[in-house]
Amino acid sequence: MAEENKPAAPAAAPPKPAGPPAPPPPKNPGFVTASIDGKEVVVKPGTTVIEAAKSVGIDIPFYCYHKRLSIAANCRMCLVEMSNAPMGKLMPGCQMAVAEGVTVKTDTPRVKDQQRAVLEFLLLNHPVDCAICDQAGECKLQDYYMKFDRQPSRLDMPKVKKGKRVALGPLVVIDQERCILCTRCVRFMREVAKAPQLGVAERGNESFITTFPGQPLDSKYSGNVVDICPVGALTSTDFRFRGRVWFMSSARSVCTGCARGCNTFLDYLNDTTYRYRPRENDAVNQEWMCDDGRLTYKPLNQGRVLHAREGRAGQGAQVAQPAAVARAAKALDRHAKAGTLGILLSPTASLEDLLVAATVAKDLLGAKEVFVGGRADGWQDDFLKRADQNPNRKGLELVAQAFGLAVRPAADLAAAVAAGTVKGVWAVGAETPDAALASKIAAAQDLVVQATNEGPLSAGATVLLPAAPHSEMDGTFVQFEGKAQRFEMAYFPRGDARPHWALAAAVGASLGAKLAFASGREVFAALGPKLGTALGDFKWDALASIGRRFGIVPLAAGTVDGRLAPNRDRMPNETGEDYRRAIARTS
Amino acid sequence: MASNGHGHPPAPKAPPAPPPPSALDAPIPSKRMVFNMGPSHPATHGVTKFIVELDGEMVTDAKIEIGYLHRGFEKSCENVTWTQVFPYTDRLNYVSSIVNNVGYALAVEKLIKLDVPERAKYLRVITSELHRICDHLTVVGATGLELGAMTVVIFAVEVRDLVWDRLTELCGARLTSNYCRIGGVARDIPDGWIEKTLKTLDRVAAMRDEIAALLNRNRIFLDRTRGVGPISGADAIDFGWTGPCLRATGVPYDVRKASPYLVYDRLDFDVPVGSNGDTFDRYLVRLEELRQSDRIVRQALKQMEPGEIIVQDFRYALPPKPLVYGTIEGVMAHFKQIMEGIKVPAGEAYSYTEAPNGELGFYLVSDGGGRPYKIGLRAPVWGMLTALPHMVKGRLFADLVPVYDSINYIAGEVEQ
Repeated sequence: MAEENKPAAPAAAPPKPAGPPAPPPPKNPGFVTASIDGKEVVVKPGTTVIEAAKSVGIDIPFYCYHKRLSIAANCRMCLVEMSNAPMGKLMPGCQMAVAEGVTVKTDTPRVKDQQRAVLEFLLLNHPVDCAICDQAGECKLQDYYMKFDRQPSRLDMPKVKKGKRVALGPLVVIDQERCILCTRCVRFMREVAKAPQLGVAERGNESFITTFPGQPLDSKYSGNVVDICPVGALTSTDFRFRGRVWFMSSARSVCTGCARGCNTFLDYLNDTTYRYRPRENDAVNQEWMCDDGRLTYKPLNQGRVLHAREGRAGQGAQVAQPAAVARAAKALDRHAKAGTLGILLSPTASLEDLLVAATVAKDLLGAKEVFVGGRADGWQDDFLKRADQNPNRKGLELVAQAFGLAVRPAADLAAAVAAGTVKGVWAVGAETPDAALASKIAAAQDLVVQATNEGPLSAGATVLLPAAPHSEMDGTFVQFEGKAQRFEMAYFPRGDARPHWALAAAVGASLGAKLAFASGREVFAALGPKLGTALGDFKWDALASIGRRFGIVPLAAGTVDGRLAPNRDRMPNETGEDYRRAIARTS
Repeated sequence: MASNGHGHPPAPKAPPAPPPPSALDAPIPSKRMVFNMGPSHPATHGVTKFIVELDGEMVTDAKIEIGYLHRGFEKSCENVTWTQVFPYTDRLNYVSSIVNNVGYALAVEKLIKLDVPERAKYLRVITSELHRICDHLTVVGATGLELGAMTVVIFAVEVRDLVWDRLTELCGARLTSNYCRIGGVARDIPDGWIEKTLKTLDRVAAMRDEIAALLNRNRIFLDRTRGVGPISGADAIDFGWTGPCLRATGVPYDVRKASPYLVYDRLDFDVPVGSNGDTFDRYLVRLEELRQSDRIVRQALKQMEPGEIIVQDFRYALPPKPLVYGTIEGVMAHFKQIMEGIKVPAGEAYSYTEAPNGELGFYLVSDGGGRPYKIGLRAPVWGMLTALPHMVKGRLFADLVPVYDSINYIAGEVEQ
């Protein structure tokens, strides 16, 4: 040790008064070194025991702790033995910081007894609800009971009765009997949503979570309390009783509600999306999302365009897709040659869609400018939500720039149609800021629309092609800060729908170009380099792994062979899309 | 040596003169012929195809083609929980399903390092041996059937059904018993079952002796089975044989003795062995094993004491129904076990038991989850099947049927 090597103090120095020995110097200066279950951990000063243990692969159970919220230490599930604890008491691992030289033990009989006791108390008044509870399958009570308790009930008196279905606000319902009073929701509303609308009322075993009288839980971030509730107390009015989580699979996706691009899990079963859940990404959305974004999955299921149509709505007839594509290409070619073609791109389409569309527009139709549609602006705050309600406006601008196409607003297209300078329109994505604008554009002589959903513009289409939304394709969105974010296909496109890029490539092929892509990956590999360095170090295949799902691992939804969603990639990349769809139908 | 008096050594004795040529023994010029037998043939029990090359009545070459009953057993098991594998094992050797149940349960318990209650061990032994009786009765009866002795199979099946009645009373199904669970067995025996079973065993013993009387000295049966399809002990081991077919060659290998599991070390029974390794010895060994299984069941029924039939641990055994419907603890344990499956520690294990056909091995790999990561099955008949061409080559074509019958090929366990 350094002090032992020092030369002896001069004999003349007066003797120091006796006192407690000075603490030894830290083993790793600037860091704290401790031992957890015999493993040495070196962490920054102030790191809690839970986080330190996690860094060496030891999981300490907890309910109330949340790394993005303040510490409550009220669930007592994380109690561990620490060598510096006063009177040898068990200490809450979520609250205690690791100190130099401390020995932590998380698996002694005492700790295990304590965990069992805590669980017995938590379950004492818990209703027998698993069969009807939406949380079943992703419930931490179930997980920890099987892991740490496993004892039968010893309760011989009636359970306490509380509010069973109390609507807290438009999106959240509480079952106060199931609640374990961890107060995560209370802390979230106070600290993250900055809208302290929840609190604990009453005392002891009568206490419950509630809102203030007459004040509903109407914050725009209220949906997050459902996600962070470790039990089935807070449930979403939108998802309640609609599906069992163990049947569903999750795809890594991106919310399309605004230009923020919150990372999400898209939970699906067969070809239906059931809900979005926020996915952790410190750089974009931490692990939250807004209520409006949460509900933007609905158009994936409803009001879809699933078959090609010729003729405007009401007089149109369903036709085979190749015939519709050929007719569309012919009309576009005629207008391109006559100089009366306008091209409307949607900032809700993916980067891959826009790359192919821009290639066709520039190289085959000789376009010099594109018009930008997209949804109208909405509300904005200083947390997550952006006013621009399109997920890929930045991507559209990058593509237009790369291809040297001028970008003009959709209103200019409406004016050009009204003035008669544009007679044919190709819309890649049918979103327009308002219906009036759409009907003005729909006045064009020929209107080729690729649309995911029915809307005012698709109603006026002379040729309508069914497009696949982001749940049904692999692709990329560029959010407003310029971060390119991948999303993965959850299920194969419904009906005859195809991604915009496939439809655009088919139109291009009808015009005589050699354009054929088997996948979004191929599109990006072929055309992505045109964007130069605009996407920074983005790599198409580097979608963060989600690892193993917490709780029940479902068999892949809608398949019989049990492959989970990520494993479908085992299908060779060169497998054609038609073949993939054929396989999807048989499984 | 006697002399003839002339000093000459006696003339060597002339070799016995060949019998006079008979028209019956005249060589008939024959043509090499290749044909298919099966896959759907009355003698191929289930679906198997032989491609046989004949020279006259002689088999010069044979090939076996399997795959007509592809069940995907091993792969299917990866998609279900550890407990849900039991019904799949029922359908391996379907005449003795509980033996398969026990083999699989022991493999999983080996991986968990779980000891099951005493009564469960006895119940597993009793039901296994009852099913061994069913299996051997079937083969013994069928061997007679293949050679035209229809009575034998009818006798055998009659008493086999009595045993199945007892097993039905125990687990609710004649064939697909699904009786074991990880950590024990599904149900305890009903009232009066032991007495009924003992009576059934008496009937089985009587019928067994009658079958023996019908066949053991039957000239036709002896001619068709003795010296037919012989194999040496060394060859049999090289082919990976186990079970009664190996013991018929004189090798006394029985997993129940070599590596006793459950309570076999507390039971007194013998391992019968043959000497010639031919079809007749295989028949005799099975016949004798019927006797030994009878002894085992009677002893086990006597030794078995009241007690738990499955471990009392919510990790492995479902809670009693009143707890499931009435308490949150019970419903959670039930839910987690059913939906996620029993958690088996990560690792791998090979466990082997004595099935009626030989060593039934399960090789399991767990990744710590509720479903098997991989299951490998060592089907006992596999080795016998591969040896079949070796056994029938150079023999009469008609011998193929009794030889094939005596190895007791079960497509359900070979075709995984």
